[in-house]
Amino acid sequence: MAGGAREVLTLQLGHFAGFVGAHWWNQQDAALGRATDAKESPGELCPDVLYRTGRTLHGQDTYTPRLILMDLKGSLSSLKEEGGLYRDKQLDAAIAWQGKLTTHKGSPPLTTATTPKPLIPTEASIRVWSDFLRVHLHPRSICMIQKYNHDGEAGRLEAFGQGESVLKEPKYQEELEDRLHFYVEECDYLQGFQILCDLHDGFSGVGAKAAELLQDEYSGRGIITWGLLPGPYHRGEAQRNIYRLLNTAFGLVHLTAHSSLVCPLSLGGSLGLRPEPPVNFPYLHYDATLPFHCSAILATALDTVTVPYRLCSSPVSMVHLADMLSFCGKKVVTAGATIPFPLAPGQSLPDSLMQFGGATPWTPLSACGEPSGTRCFAQSVVLRGIDRACHTSQLTPGTPPPSSLHACTTGEEVLAQYLQQQQPRVMSSSHLLLTPYRVAPPYPHLFSSCSPQAVESIPVFGALCSSSSLHQTLEALARDLTKLDLRRWASFMDAGVEHDDVAELLQELQSLAQCYHAGDSLVD
Amino acid sequence: MFGSSFQPAIAAREAEGLHPRIITEGFEAAKIKALEVLEEVKVTKEMKRKVLLDVARTSLRTKVHAELADVLTEAVVDSVLAVRRPGYPIDLFMVEIMEMKHKLGTDTKLIQGLVLDHGARHPDMKKRVEDAFILICNVSLEYEKTEVSSGFFYKTAEEKEKLVKAERKFIEDRVQKIIDLKDKVCAQSNKGFVIINQKGIDPFSLDTLAKHGIVALRRAKRRNMERLSLACGGMAVNSFEDLTVDCLGHAGLVYEYTLGEEKFTFIEECVNPHSVTLLVRGPNKHTLTQIKDAIRDGLRAIKNAIEDGCMVPGAGAIEVAMAEALVTYKNSIKGRARLGVQAFADALLIIPKVLAQNAGYDPQETLVKVQAEHVESKQLVGIDLNTGEPMVAADAGVWDNYCVKKQLLHSCTVIATNILLVDEIMRAGMSSLKG
Repeated sequence: MAGGAREVLTLQLGHFAGFVGAHWWNQQDAALGRATDAKESPGELCPDVLYRTGRTLHGQDTYTPRLILMDLKGSLSSLKEEGGLYRDKQLDAAIAWQGKLTTHKGSPPLTTATTPKPLIPTEASIRVWSDFLRVHLHPRSICMIQKYNHDGEAGRLEAFGQGESVLKEPKYQEELEDRLHFYVEECDYLQGFQILCDLHDGFSGVGAKAAELLQDEYSGRGIITWGLLPGPYHRGEAQRNIYRLLNTAFGLVHLTAHSSLVCPLSLGGSLGLRPEPPVNFPYLHYDATLPFHCSAILATALDTVTVPYRLCSSPVSMVHLADMLSFCGKKVVTAGATIPFPLAPGQSLPDSLMQFGGATPWTPLSACGEPSGTRCFAQSVVLRGIDRACHTSQLTPGTPPPSSLHACTTGEEVLAQYLQQQQPRVMSSSHLLLTPYRVAPPYPHLFSSCSPQAVESIPVFGALCSSSSLHQTLEALARDLTKLDLRRWASFMDAGVEHDDVAELLQELQSLAQCYHAGDSLVD
Repeated sequence: MFGSSFQPAIAAREAEGLHPRIITEGFEAAKIKALEVLEEVKVTKEMKRKVLLDVARTSLRTKVHAELADVLTEAVVDSVLAVRRPGYPIDLFMVEIMEMKHKLGTDTKLIQGLVLDHGARHPDMKKRVEDAFILICNVSLEYEKTEVSSGFFYKTAEEKEKLVKAERKFIEDRVQKIIDLKDKVCAQSNKGFVIINQKGIDPFSLDTLAKHGIVALRRAKRRNMERLSLACGGMAVNSFEDLTVDCLGHAGLVYEYTLGEEKFTFIEECVNPHSVTLLVRGPNKHTLTQIKDAIRDGLRAIKNAIEDGCMVPGAGAIEVAMAEALVTYKNSIKGRARLGVQAFADALLIIPKVLAQNAGYDPQETLVKVQAEHVESKQLVGIDLNTGEPMVAADAGVWDNYCVKKQLLHSCTVIATNILLVDEIMRAGMSSLKG
C-alpha cells in the first residue's frame, strides 16, 4: 500500500493477556534496539504497525506500543497507571494548602556502590506482569477496572456476565471509546485490531463486548482475537473449573460473532472440563504451572504467526488473512508452532523438513488436540530465522536430489513445495523470513541448548490452520455444557446470563462445530 | 449517613423490648411530618443567575478549595443556562467536559462553543480560521475494503489496478462535492470552511481538501455530533447528495491548540450555542479528576434547582427545624410509636453534628447553640463552618436541593424500616424452627 504503515491497535484484556503482551513487547523492543546493527537484515517487519511515535510535553520523542490494556485493581504493583514516560516532575507538586508550609526531607538511604539493583527480576519474584515488563507504555494505555479485585477472596471478576456489564457501564465504555479515539484518529491506514483476551475468567465478557464495540464503530477493519487460557487446572477446584468452562464457551462464541478471526491459545491441553496433560515441546523445557513460562512460549508463537500483516513489503492485510482462513463461516482457527525450529549445524532447510517425515511439524497451541489425523482447510505458515545460506540444499552438482525439496532453487519454493506435499488440497499461504525471534532477558531459560552461551535468538516455524480438529473440540465443549446442572451454578447466571442464553450458546457451538466437519463436499 | 444513624436508636429501643413494627409506624409518621416541614420551609424563587450561583457555590465549596470553587461556580451556572431550552428538560449531556493537563485548576473556564480533542491532520491546513462555515458529516472518505466479503476478483495486476482506481474515484467524487459546495458558499469572500467528519479521511483526500483551503477533522467522536449541531447550527449529513448551504453551521472562530502530542480544536464565537464546553485545566490527573467530579455534582445541583423551582436552606438548618418539629409532634402520637418519632428526630440531628465535627468544632455544643437560636429567632438556622456559630443559611446563600432532601427522607425511612422488619421476620422464622 502506498504511503505509511498499515497500523494495528492492540487490546490486552486480562492478567494472563498482560503476561503474554509483556513478553511480546519486551522482545519487539529488544529487536528495535538491534535494528541499527549492520549485521542484521534490513527490516522485514515494520515496527510502525504495532508502535506509534509520540512526543511528551517537553518535546521529547517517544515510541510506544499502540496499546490499550485493561486489568483489575491491585494488579499493577510497582507500575503507575500513567507510566513514567510522560511525567512532569515539576507539575506533580500542586500546592492546594494556603497556610504555613514546612518541608521535611529525609536523607536517602546509603547504598553500597558495588551491588547495583538487578534489572532482570528472578523468576521466583515475578507475581504480576508489570514485574518483568521492560517497555515504557503510553499514559493512555492502562485502563484499570476499579470495580473488581485482582487478588483476595471477594470481588473477583469471575463470570462472563460480569465482564460484559463492565463495558456496558457508561464510565468504562466512555473510557474505552476515548482511548480508542486517541489512537485511531491519528492512523492514516488503520488495518484493524488485535485483541488478546483471557477466556478463563470474567475478561471473556469484557473481550466479547469490546469486540462488539469495535465491530460496530469500525466496520470494515480486521479484528483478530486471541483467546488465552493460562496453564493447567486441577480437578479439585470444581467451581473454578465450571466457571472456566462457561466463560470459555461464552467467550469463544461471542468473540467469533464479532471478530474476523478467533484463535484460542493455551498450553493446557484441553478447552473442556477434563484436564489433559500440558503440551510437550520436543526441544524446550518449561514449567506449565508458571504463567511466566507459558506466556513466553505463546508470545513467541504470536510474534511469528502475525508476521503476514506486519511485513514491510507485500504485507497481507488482516482482513485478507482472515478472509483466506475463514471462508464458509469458519472463523475459528488453531495455532501451532515449532519452537525452536530444529536446524542442526551443517543442515539445510530441505534436510530439516524431510526429517519431520509425514508428521505435522508443529506443536499444537490451541488446546484442540493433536493435529495428526485431522483435515486442514486453509493455513497460513511462517518460517523465520533460517540463514539464507541454508535455505536450499547444498548438494554438490551432479548428486541426485533425495527429494523434490532438494531440487528447489529458493527457500520460498522449498517451503511452498513442502506444504504442498504435506497437505495437497489445502490453500496455503507461506512466508519465509530471515529475522529470527529474539529471546533476550527476561525471556525464561527454556532451551536445552548444548552450547554454554545463552541463546539470543531462535528460528521458529508457526502456523494458523483452519482445521477439522475444531469439530471434535467444539462438540466436546457443547457436550460438557449439556451435562452441567445449571441450577447448581446459579451464581454464574446471576451475573447477567440467562438460561435462554445458555440454550442459544449450545446451538451456536453446535452449528460452529458443523462448519468444521471434514465432509468432502465442503472444500474443492 | 442519615439512614445508618437510625441504628443506635433502634438498638436502644429494642433493648426496651419494643416491637419493631411499632417503631416503624413511628418512622412513617415522622417521615410524613418531616416532609410537611420540608414543604413549609422550601423557598420558591425564580431561578435567576444570582440564585443559581448560590446553589452551585454551596455544592462546589464542599468539593474543592474556596478559590477554585468560586471560579467553577460561574462557569458551571453559565453552562447550564446556555444549554437550557424552553420546553425541554435540561440535558446536561450537552455540556461537554474536556480536560487539558496544563496550567492550574483555576484556569478552568467555560467555552461558548465546543472543544474537540483532535485537530486537522494535514500540515498545510490552516491553524486558525475566522468566520467559518462548518460542515458536519458522517461519510467515509477513506479507501477501505468493501463490506462484501467476496472481495475483489481479478486475474491480472492490471485488473486489480482498475478496481483500485474505481474505488478511489468513488471517494474522489465525494471530495469533489465538498469542494464544489465550498466554492459556492465562500465565492469571493474570505470566509473559511471546516469539515468535521465522524468517519475517516485518508491522506489523498486530506491533500485534495488542503489544496482547496479546507480544514478537515476526521473520526470525530459520535457523541460530539449532536453537540456540534447544537453549538454551530447546521445538521449532520450522512451523504453528499443534495448538499446545500442550509446544511452548514457557522462559527466565528476555529483554531487549533497543541499540547505536547495532543491537538485541540476550539470552535468558538458561535451564534446562540446550545451546547458548550467546560474546559477543565490542572497540573496533574488527580486535580483534573477532582475538578471534573466537582463540576458534575455542581451541574446536577443546578439542574435540580431549576427543575424543582425551589430550594431549601442548607448548613443543617432544615434538619434542626425538622427535629424540633418532630419533638413537638411526638407528644400528639398515642402509644409507644412516639418513640419511633423520637428516634427519627435524633437521626436527623446527625447531619448538623457531623458538619460541626468535620469543621473542627464540638458537635454537641454547636448543636445546642443552633437549636437555641432557631427557637428564639424562628428562622432557619444552620452552622457557619468558618466560625462554628449559628447563621441564617438563606442569608449566607447556602442552599440545598429540595428534591434531594425529599428523596433522602423517603429512601432512608424505607431502608431503616426494612432492616428492622427483616430482623423481625428472621427471628420469627427461627423461633418456628425451634418450636
